[in-house]
Amino acid sequence: MGSYSEKSVWVQLISMVVVLGGYFAVAGAMMANGVMALPAYVPLFAAAVVLMVVVLVVGHLAALIGERLGGGAGSARSPDHRDERDRLIGWRAESNAAWIVGAGVICGISAMVVGAAPVWVAHLLLGSMFVSEVLKYTLQIVYYRRGMGGM
Amino acid sequence: MADKPRITNRIRELRFMHGEMTQQALADRTGVTRQTINAIEGGKYAPSLELAFAIARVFGRDVEEVFEYGEGAEQRT
Repeated sequence: MGSYSEKSVWVQLISMVVVLGGYFAVAGAMMANGVMALPAYVPLFAAAVVLMVVVLVVGHLAALIGERLGGGAGSARSPDHRDERDRLIGWRAESNAAWIVGAGVICGISAMVVGAAPVWVAHLLLGSMFVSEVLKYTLQIVYYRRGMGGM
Repeated sequence: MADKPRITNRIRELRFMHGEMTQQALADRTGVTRQTINAIEGGKYAPSLELAFAIARVFGRDVEEVFEYGEGAEQRT
C-alpha cells in the first residue's frame, strides 16, 4: 500500500461512493415514487453527511494505525505530511475533474430555465459535485499507481 | 504522449554506494515520503528542481551526475 496520503484518498473515495452513493440510491427511489418536496430529502441528506464524517474519521484512524504499524512511526514527518508529489497529484486530479461541476452548474441553470422542479435542480448540482469528487479521487489513485513520469 | 520517463536517474546505484542507504533514509533527508523516492527511482515521477538538487546534495554529487535528461525526450522536443 502507498503513503498515508494515498490511503487517505482511498478512504475518501470509498466513503464518498458508499455513503453518497447510498444517498442517491434512496433519493432516486423517492423521486421515482413522486416525492417532489425538497424538504423531504433534508433528513436523508443530513444523515448521509453525518455518516460520511463518521466513516471518514474511522477510515483515517485506521489508515493512521496502519501507517504506524507499517513503519511510518520511524519517520520524522507528521503522518499527514504531503510532499510535492502528493500536492502535484492532487492539483492535477482536481484540474481534470473540476469541469464536471461547471457542466453540472450549466445543466442546473438550464433545468431552471425550462422549469424543472427544484428537487431535480438540487440533485443535478449535488450529483455533479459527487461525480466530480469521485473522478478526482479515482484520478489521484491512478496517478499514485501508474505514476506521472510524463509531467 | 510521454509514457516513458523523460528523466533517468542513478539514485538506486548511489544509495548502494552510500552504504545501502534506504529509501526511507533518503526520504527523511530530503523531506519527502519514501513512496516519492520509490516513484522517482522507478521513473514514475519527475522531481522538482529543488528536490533534484536536494537528492544530489545528499550524495555529494552535482545534479547532472544523479539525473539525466533522456534521449527520447530530446527527440520529442
